[in-house]
Amino acid sequence: MLVDTVVVGGGVIGCAVADALARAGRKVHLLDATLPGRATSASAGGLWAVGESIGLGCGVILHAQENPDAEQAGPMPLPRVFMDFLLAGNRQFPRLGPELKERTGIDVEVESGTGLLYLLYEDNHVQHARQLQDWLGQESDLMVTWSPEEVRDHDPCLTDELAGGVFFPGDNQVNPMLLAEAWKRSAILAGAEFHPCRVERIERAGKSFLLHSGSERWESPELVIAAGAWSGDLAQMVGASLPVFPVRGQIVCTETLSRTLRSNLSTPDCYVLQKSHGEVIVGSTTERSDFGTQVRPGDLRDLARGACRAVPGLASLAVKRTWAGLRPGTPDEFPVLGPDPDIENLYYATGGFRTGIVAAPITAELVACSILGTTPSFPQEPFLARRFRDAPGPEASQRDSSSSSRTESDSVA
Amino acid sequence: MSAPDVLVIGGGPAGMGAALEAANSGLTCVLVDESPELGGQIYRAPLPEAEQAMSPHPHGAYLRQKVRESSGIEVRTGCSAWGVFEGPEVPVSSEGSTIVYRPKALVIAPGAYEFVPPFPGWTLPGVMTPGAAQILVKTMGIEPGKRVILAGTGPFLPAVASQLVRAGVGVTAVLEASPRHHWWTLPWHGFRTPSILREGLGYLATLRRARVPILYRRGIVEVRGGERMTHVAHAPLDDHWAPNLSRREEIEADTLCVGYGFVPRVHLAQSAGCELEFRDEQGGWVPRRDAEFATSVEGVYSVGDGAGVAGAWSAESEGRIAGLAIARRLGALEPGDFDRQQRPWRTKLDRLTPIRRALDRICRIRSGLFESIQDDTLVCRCEELPWKTVRSAIDFGADQFRSLKVATRLGMGPCQGRFCWPATSRMIARQCQVGVEQVGPSSARPPLRPVSLGCLASMDEEAR
Ligand SMILES: Cc1cc2nc3c(=O)[nH]c(=O)nc-3n(C[C@H](O)[C@H](O)[C@H](O)COP(=O)(O)OP(=O)(O)OC[C@H]3O[C@@H](n4cnc5c(N)ncnc54)[C@H](O)[C@@H]3O)c2cc1C
Ligand SMILES: Cc1cc2nc3c(=O)[nH]c(=O)nc-3n(C[C@H](O)[C@H](O)[C@H](O)COP(=O)(O)OP(=O)(O)OC[C@H]3O[C@@H](n4cnc5c(N)ncnc54)[C@H](O)[C@@H]3O)c2cc1C
Repeated sequence: MLVDTVVVGGGVIGCAVADALARAGRKVHLLDATLPGRATSASAGGLWAVGESIGLGCGVILHAQENPDAEQAGPMPLPRVFMDFLLAGNRQFPRLGPELKERTGIDVEVESGTGLLYLLYEDNHVQHARQLQDWLGQESDLMVTWSPEEVRDHDPCLTDELAGGVFFPGDNQVNPMLLAEAWKRSAILAGAEFHPCRVERIERAGKSFLLHSGSERWESPELVIAAGAWSGDLAQMVGASLPVFPVRGQIVCTETLSRTLRSNLSTPDCYVLQKSHGEVIVGSTTERSDFGTQVRPGDLRDLARGACRAVPGLASLAVKRTWAGLRPGTPDEFPVLGPDPDIENLYYATGGFRTGIVAAPITAELVACSILGTTPSFPQEPFLARRFRDAPGPEASQRDSSSSSRTESDSVA
Repeated sequence: MSAPDVLVIGGGPAGMGAALEAANSGLTCVLVDESPELGGQIYRAPLPEAEQAMSPHPHGAYLRQKVRESSGIEVRTGCSAWGVFEGPEVPVSSEGSTIVYRPKALVIAPGAYEFVPPFPGWTLPGVMTPGAAQILVKTMGIEPGKRVILAGTGPFLPAVASQLVRAGVGVTAVLEASPRHHWWTLPWHGFRTPSILREGLGYLATLRRARVPILYRRGIVEVRGGERMTHVAHAPLDDHWAPNLSRREEIEADTLCVGYGFVPRVHLAQSAGCELEFRDEQGGWVPRRDAEFATSVEGVYSVGDGAGVAGAWSAESEGRIAGLAIARRLGALEPGDFDRQQRPWRTKLDRLTPIRRALDRICRIRSGLFESIQDDTLVCRCEELPWKTVRSAIDFGADQFRSLKVATRLGMGPCQGRFCWPATSRMIARQCQVGVEQVGPSSARPPLRPVSLGCLASMDEEAR
């Protein structure tokens, strides 16, 4: 079958890209295997543009895991362009929600007004908060610092044992699964074709890509790799090298509960948020891993402890399920978007790591623009795959990622 | 953390059989069951406070006593195992506290649950499973209703119907989906297991005496009512169990027991990472096992109805053989002794095979069963999902549990798809015109039993 563009991977990113291309008039085929560990199915759906960029959410957990000795280590912000990128993504949600609902009938549950609250348990956490405010700029309205009393006034179900809190009013949430599903349906309604299948092999036939899955084949002059944590394998199939690796996240979900939590919560142990169906989600480990999706009792226990510490009343809630997803990680924690530096008409839309959901709208825009040859609303430079070309091999660059890619002044700790 | 030689999950005939043989060979054994008493489904003991309840099954009482007498077996009732992690490591919770077991060998024997297909009206009060009605009369001495109809397939229907009759409950009719002449082949297949035939004939005789008709080749097409069901509509079925709606009839009834056989509870084995295979005749997905009932995961065994529905006698025999195999594996039993001791149980299993196979053929689920489902019939009760929502997700390319779940919330409720998936996966197979095995099993996400967040937080420090 000869088609304009093939997108491999139907997570939130592949679906968003397929939708953008299909609505621009391309004949798109979206191929997805829905493998166990699909990050979009595992995700908490936090739209924490500021929180994650300055190193909260999964960031603090990752940082603590990778620096077990640094007792005092606090949040580690990523370079500022990353926050601007996520903010550009986050800004689109209030418009995107109603649009998707209109096109597909699916409500992707964009929430506004909840905000993200980082709980400060100890005095050195308060110190970190000051440094974060310095980093953002004293006049910034992206962050507000609260006393323990202000935190308790905001949400009385939180623990008493607090040294304060930091509130990010613009960091809300969405339903990540429905978001991907709505984009997928929107793409299909705009003429895209969806094929549930696993791409096993890709050949080059002249300038085209020939994709194989079982007895099925697709031939396309244009290929987008949006295969999440598996993107490296796909790149390898076409002879490219892409340093994307799985970063496992184990997560806990409770039974439904009437609306209880005022805000999304981030703590040094875990994050806690209540979804619109009422389930409370407690996440998440952030482990460089293989492709296994097992959960470990000890890790689940630690997450549960973190949640009960933040909100003691949650202890009586029944746990409904636990699972693990695989984030598409990159050495510098930046996504990989746009063309391959060497292979013509090969594009990447991957490496969303711990912020692939909030970044999805702007990700789709950047990738679609680079394929369609139009100008995006945000510079593509920092995310191009060619940044890896001169870097050391993937093994080495993974190991010293936390130091090499960040400048001294970015570090808060 | 506790490290017995053997951990057995499930105290039915299969689990008790395994524990008895392992302990007889000198191994230390922990037997956990979430019910208040050992016995499992068939040998379920009446609650002490229920005076009207029926007397317990003598073989069940015998097994229970043997287990209680064995010094090698620590019995923990009222305890749920909620997952099997790498190791194997098994957390077991009761009343808010959790112990993690790390046994040398694990036996999974959790039994089966009833298969209920959706149909219009199936969520009305008064609709229940035969097993639920049985528990009401057997352990609590409570009448499920005044005018009861049983519908479905399999020998469990006349068994429960006659138990209800003997308990004084008014049974209006039994509807069996398969034709009568199929049933009359059973004596020929069952001549080596006369006790089973006698048991079945006994049920039929009880029903005949009470003038309860058994209507063959009949199935439910709808249940109607207001606050509680009042009417059952049924129709004749063809060879694929598709109803002939032009010959629909209605009967008044306040209770309908629907059961189309059993589904093995494979989620523990699945969470242990055991490979599954699809065996339609054994109730669906079952763990792949060798001749001694070891699964694909080292040291993990799976026996009884939870590994493939085959009845209580097979369950006990499988458990006994697995218990002996574990003893041999852990060096507590010489290979020669193993051969000798397992032989009677093997013979018993072989003798049961012909009647088992015949029953499997008669009662295998046929695809016409789902023909009465309407667009707005709920298929996932927990999330109140109508069939049309699932169908539209299928139209948009979802074709397995993982993709349907995220598209529709199917199986995202408290039951996690355990109850809806056996039927829904068959409906999807029918819709997509593929085999059920291609649609795949549901996923098993711990905790497989309710555990509170606080209970999880208080788990053993040593857990990995
Ligand atoms: C526990 C957890 C919590 C998270 N929380 C948040 C959060 O709160 N906020 C946020 O913004 N982000 C969060 N993330 C990150 C976010 O979920 C991911 O960055 C994002 O979902 C990545 O989307 P994707 O489409 O790139 O990858 P995926 O969703 O993994 O999709 C990739 C798809 O490609 C398919 N595929 C792979 N190989 C093949 C092949 N050979 N053929 C066909 N198909 C193939 C897979 O089956 C899969 O469906 C979280 C992640 C995890 C794991
Ligand atoms: C509802 C029902 C009623 C039945 N009634 C009859 C009948 O009247 N006559 C007849 O001949 N056959 C009957 N059967 C079939 C018969 O019970 C089975 O063939 C036989 O009991 C199988 O034995 P088993 O040991 O494999 O499983 P079971 O007897 O079902 O025993 C399994 C045990 O495991 C326990 N368990 C399950 N999961 C867990 C867990 N996670 N943690 C701890 N414990 C757990 C359960 O509490 C149960 O006690 C019935 C089956 C069902 C499902």
